[in-house]
Amino acid sequence: MQAQAVRTVAAGVLLPASLLVLWQVAAERGWIDALFFPRPTDIVARTWEHVRDGRIVTDSEITLKRLLLGFVLGAAPGIVLGLAAGTTRFIRALLYPLASALYVVPRIALLPLALVTFSIGDPARVFMVAFGVFFITFFGSLSAAEQVERNHVDTARAFGASYHQVMRSVIVPGASPSIFTSLRVAMGVALIVIISVEFLASNSGLGSFIWRRYQIFDFPSMYSGIVAVTVLGVAINALLLMLERSLLPWRR
Amino acid sequence: MTILVRPRARASWSPHAVEIAGLSVRYPGPGSVLALEGLDLAVAAGSFHAILGPSGCGKSTLLKVLGGLVRATAGEWRIAGGRRPAYVPQGNSCFPWLTAEANVAYGLWVQGRPRRERRAVARALLASLGLQEFAESYPHQLSEGMRQRVAIARAFAVNAPLLIMDEPLSALDFQTKIQVQGELLRLWSDRQATVLYVTHDIDEALTLADRVSVLSGRPGRLLGTIEVPFPRPRSYRDVRNQPGYPDAFRQLFELLEERSA
Ligand SMILES: Nc1ncnc2c1ncn2[C@@H]1O[C@H](COP(=O)(O)OP(=O)(O)OP(=O)(O)O)[C@@H](O)[C@H]1O
Ligand SMILES: [Mg+2]
Repeated sequence: MQAQAVRTVAAGVLLPASLLVLWQVAAERGWIDALFFPRPTDIVARTWEHVRDGRIVTDSEITLKRLLLGFVLGAAPGIVLGLAAGTTRFIRALLYPLASALYVVPRIALLPLALVTFSIGDPARVFMVAFGVFFITFFGSLSAAEQVERNHVDTARAFGASYHQVMRSVIVPGASPSIFTSLRVAMGVALIVIISVEFLASNSGLGSFIWRRYQIFDFPSMYSGIVAVTVLGVAINALLLMLERSLLPWRR
Repeated sequence: MTILVRPRARASWSPHAVEIAGLSVRYPGPGSVLALEGLDLAVAAGSFHAILGPSGCGKSTLLKVLGGLVRATAGEWRIAGGRRPAYVPQGNSCFPWLTAEANVAYGLWVQGRPRRERRAVARALLASLGLQEFAESYPHQLSEGMRQRVAIARAFAVNAPLLIMDEPLSALDFQTKIQVQGELLRLWSDRQATVLYVTHDIDEALTLADRVSVLSGRPGRLLGTIEVPFPRPRSYRDVRNQPGYPDAFRQLFELLEERSA
């Protein structure tokens, strides 16, 4: 059991570790241009400097705040309306056409509109994240609600459960595994959106950090920004998984 | 405003727990299916009444009509006392996200009963089915036979005068089936409830039931009802030694064959 777990982790680490070693060797031997691809050890050293002088920490906090705020503001109505549309024909008929149309608009194309609507500032950035997250969780929750086993809904109704009781005791728990999946997908998109928005329209946050280092050709620092984004993404994903495990103890 | 209060009909006034007359059900839609047609059936109060019929003849549909899940297209039906029957659906119907105890207590939760009562009722039923150690287990941690016991306990928990059960033991192996049959009969006679029980197993019907009705192939109609005169308490084994057994078996077998004729 223990040995099995160790082997699984080792297998997962093998590929990235070999790639890093290859990168290191290639940069040292001059096989690749060290300006654009600095040695991983240099990137680590630079990242550590930025952590110590606090710049990357501050920018991470700013990005995290925008990301989480937008995520919650998009996911909460997305889940509620998605479940409502998945269980009520009228609400589905009302929302589905508009939502499907808006869903295909490339999200970043809305940035100018968001900027003029909310004036410059965090509300526009948070809105961009929320907008992307909303549609993913809306459609995710809608189909999750529709796919809840008919037998379970029927059982609840036969015992006399009201709409709200069916919702609470069957639809929400039955849909929650798929909802969590859509939340993880939405988080990936949210991260892309916030970094892109910060590239284009922000003086703070990790996106801006990366973009400014790129413009002055400070590639080791640019990579340390990318490292920070990756760490952020992995940490949030792990957090979502932990939340899912503790909220859904009945899953195998 | 005047409110007229009418005395409710009581179950004990009627010899029948369920009366069904001319019941037809057509599932609408493109592949419209006539599942039941002109079905007549009467279930005596306090009896154990089994329904046999070929696959797809509308047995589940019949129970769903009584459970309020499917609307009748034509005909009438009536449950004495008007109380909602307790339902054991076909297949795996335990809620995977609830523990065994919470599954059993589900109907009481719907009725808004206090937690202490729900817990006491569920624990007692689980204990009487030999599942006391599994109260906190989730369905995926239970065996198929345990899950079916939970579904049966969930139906008995609401203490309804009528229980409708849809092939609750069909997924079980022979030994477990015989054991749960015994537990089911004991609960039924303790509660003095009426049970309408769908099965496709002639021996099971003869072991459990006072009467057995046979439905035709789709659309389901009543082909006939036989009385099962064997004394109680019964068990799978001694039912087969009853002098009337071969005759009863043959009658049911022939009624089931009629569908193809
Ligand atoms: N929701 C539905 N929509 C359309 N047709 C249905 C629906 N449910 C059942 N049917 C059809 O109605 C007929 C009767 O189905 P039902 O489930 O009542 O049969 P059954 O006697 O319980 O069969 P089995 O012994 O296999 O459980 C079948 O032909 C089935 O295809
Ligand atoms: Mg059936």
